[in-house]
Amino acid sequence: MPIVIWQLIFFVFPLIFLVVLSFWLVKNYRMVPGFDTINWVKMFSKGYFWDAYWRTLGYAGVATIVTSILAFPCAFALAFKVSPKVRRWALFFLIVPFFTSYLVRTYSWQIFLNDNGIFNTLFALVGLGPFQLLNNFFGTLVGYLTLCLPLVVVLQLISLANVDRTLIEAAHNLGCGRLRTVFQVIVPLAKIGIILGAVFTFILTFGDFVSPYYLGGSKPPTLSILIIDTTKSGQQWPRAAVVAIVMIVTLLTIMFASVAAAYRKRS
Amino acid sequence: MSDSSSSRPLVTFAGVSKRYGGVTAVHTMNLEIYEGEFLAIMGPSGCGKTTSLRMLAGLEEPSDGEIRLDGQRINEISSVERDTPMVWQSLALFPFLNVQKNVEFGLKMRQVPAEERQARASKWLERMEILELAERDISQLSGGQKQRVALARSLVTEPRILLLDEPLSALDANLVIRMQGVLSRLQKELGITFVYVTHSQSEAFAMSDRVVIMSQGRIEQLGSPKEIYRSPASRFVADFVGANNILSGTISQAGENLEIETALGVFQCDTGTKPAHHVGDSLDMVISADLVQMSLDDPNTQNSLECRFISEEFVGSIVTLFAELEDRSDFKIQTRQRDLAKMSLEEGDTFFVSWSAADTHLISSGRHLDA
Amino acid sequence: MSQGASKSLLLRGYVVLVFIFVFTPIVTSFIFSVNSDRFPTIPLGHFTTHWYETIFADPDVWDAFRVSGIVSITVATLATFIGFCTAYTDYRYNFTGKALYLSLALLPPTIPLVIMGLAMLALLARINMSGEIYSIVVSHVVLCSPFAMAVIRMRLAQINPDLESAAWNLGASNWRAMQEVIVPFCRPAIASAFCLTAAVSFDEFAVAWFVSGLNKTVPVMILEILQGNTDPQINAIGSIVFITSMTLVILAQLILMRKTINQTATGI
Repeated sequence: MPIVIWQLIFFVFPLIFLVVLSFWLVKNYRMVPGFDTINWVKMFSKGYFWDAYWRTLGYAGVATIVTSILAFPCAFALAFKVSPKVRRWALFFLIVPFFTSYLVRTYSWQIFLNDNGIFNTLFALVGLGPFQLLNNFFGTLVGYLTLCLPLVVVLQLISLANVDRTLIEAAHNLGCGRLRTVFQVIVPLAKIGIILGAVFTFILTFGDFVSPYYLGGSKPPTLSILIIDTTKSGQQWPRAAVVAIVMIVTLLTIMFASVAAAYRKRS
Repeated sequence: MSDSSSSRPLVTFAGVSKRYGGVTAVHTMNLEIYEGEFLAIMGPSGCGKTTSLRMLAGLEEPSDGEIRLDGQRINEISSVERDTPMVWQSLALFPFLNVQKNVEFGLKMRQVPAEERQARASKWLERMEILELAERDISQLSGGQKQRVALARSLVTEPRILLLDEPLSALDANLVIRMQGVLSRLQKELGITFVYVTHSQSEAFAMSDRVVIMSQGRIEQLGSPKEIYRSPASRFVADFVGANNILSGTISQAGENLEIETALGVFQCDTGTKPAHHVGDSLDMVISADLVQMSLDDPNTQNSLECRFISEEFVGSIVTLFAELEDRSDFKIQTRQRDLAKMSLEEGDTFFVSWSAADTHLISSGRHLDA
Repeated sequence: MSQGASKSLLLRGYVVLVFIFVFTPIVTSFIFSVNSDRFPTIPLGHFTTHWYETIFADPDVWDAFRVSGIVSITVATLATFIGFCTAYTDYRYNFTGKALYLSLALLPPTIPLVIMGLAMLALLARINMSGEIYSIVVSHVVLCSPFAMAVIRMRLAQINPDLESAAWNLGASNWRAMQEVIVPFCRPAIASAFCLTAAVSFDEFAVAWFVSGLNKTVPVMILEILQGNTDPQINAIGSIVFITSMTLVILAQLILMRKTINQTATGI
């Protein structure tokens, strides 16, 4: 059982240590082992912490909904409206982005979204703008979509492609209209893939610091940015640990709830 | 098998049980398998037949009892060290090896030098008439060719016993008949023991010297195909094997001219040498569908019934008729198509069935009669 | 044109739009890596290999590629091995605590990378293991082995369970059956798990940034350029990373496809 030992040492231990760390103290820019709830009390009493918490939760929630909605028509078309050969190629091209540097892609969007970037240059040509596209939630959202959209399309596509075609024909045959069939038959059948895609989007965007930092302008901060800022400024690691633990607990709660929803027996 | 009682058992199951958690798959099984015989183990799915075979192969360990090979207890000997090769239902050919390498596998595991391996594998491929396929990938073979590869792979170590777990169930009907011939001939030529698990009556009866019928982890009957066909030992066997009609009743007159009273009337029965019964004993009367005569007029014998024609089913020149008795229970008749044509029956027509008292077989309700 | 056809056309147009969105940043990065302007704007300047020359002349870049190479190959080897063991254990055995075992094996990718990085550095610094190449390796193995496990487990799900029994039945010991049957059957999945984990490790920046110290990997270097004075060098490095990763992925795909086409041709 090498995995158990390895994961215990290098996965569970660090996380446990993080919990321990959250009770340590910082004196003269040095960490001192101890047991004090001060970090928790301090963090929880700070308005900026709660602002960041709800902001991050909101960002991730919006990103999850937007990504799922934008991905669905695409996955649907690839699952039902194209030949298997096209579908295979589409799948391949959807996997390609995972192997390009997310950082470099983020940088590319900076070039586009800049105040005098490509989009605003183009808008100016037709006498519009300039619009602020960078350093706000729009920029962050573009980054999130860059990160998650291909993944969500892939997950939804796999789920949709496995839907039994005869069930769709049966629905048509029983007089269920096309659009109604999509929502009454296809969506419930592809539920697991859709929820899985949403969960992944939530996990990734909740923890991502690159988009909110480089496209969202880093201020006001999300929790991940808060962690980075806290560690940078004067060894406040215990407080960063508090933020990290709150994040993990939130993520696990939402994840288990969604997975339970995905696999819940239909009544 | 010429005479099983004279030869020593090659395999002995002595009170063997197999339990999985609370479920008993095989229940205190006692069975002797002889050198050189073709034994079929037959039963519905979940009856324990495959589990028995896997215990013999060493792939499952008995929970109780002892399995002996050649008089030696083998319970603790792993599959690896027993030479009890098996042919799987799925054939279990290694998809990443070609035909030649598949056949060589068992020899390679036994550290046989490469040259000898190749020669012995080729010999068996030739024997199975597939030598020209030696370099092919498994995925390029037809169903029948795969069967032959699987057989060659199991036989290449020249074992004394070959275990077969429903090997023909994936083939189409024509090929099954052909492979039955191949297996039968092979077993006779090699003179080794074949233990053949199947749920198909035709496969079991066509090839084997003896048949074991299992149900719910127990042996229901062990005997030659003919014994099992003509004298089923239990209601289960009568239902499972052949096309039998079963009427339940109680003895109304014991002795030489046994009479049985059923819901449909009183019937005569010739017990022959069977042990005596007493008035009031309840039992099942088995009338084999192929021993029933049909007529349009009432034959006026005691062993006859009126019935209504429902449907017919043709298999070759034999036709099975499905009819309904007055209490709405089913009755089956097997006859030749030629004879049926003379009667020109339409659905709903009534006719008569009759049988001789000597052709009735009795099973006491519940457990075996002649045990 | 019928209503159905125009709807279908609309849907296709939408698919094209999604693909444009996905590939715009990738293609843009390529274009600006060979564009002469210091600040990327349109209209474009002229073609140049200047940025590539700059990075190839920079010993730090070479160093970063060396570190990344060592890390990703070591990580891929270890993660694939661990992934195989985990997948095989899950496939073959049932035991109490299996759910816990599987969550241990599969949970790491759900923890945000920033937190993984923070936790890793906190612990490794405590036991004097931070700032070394092996610090990155251990962290990445934790992150990557679940991917390897998933790929190999999917392959094991396709195996006919009789194959292993058949090997025992033909005289192969447990160990021998693993060597002669399980590993050959999984070989394509093992190869693609190797490539996949190598690519993931080659791309990962957050955890590596926390624990790497002076041993910068390529993505960490990109991150630092992004924080400072960005210029098209970043595009040049990004393009090289992309080509490296893609080579690995395409290699993995080719191996997987060639093997599965004639063995188990499944739909999607």
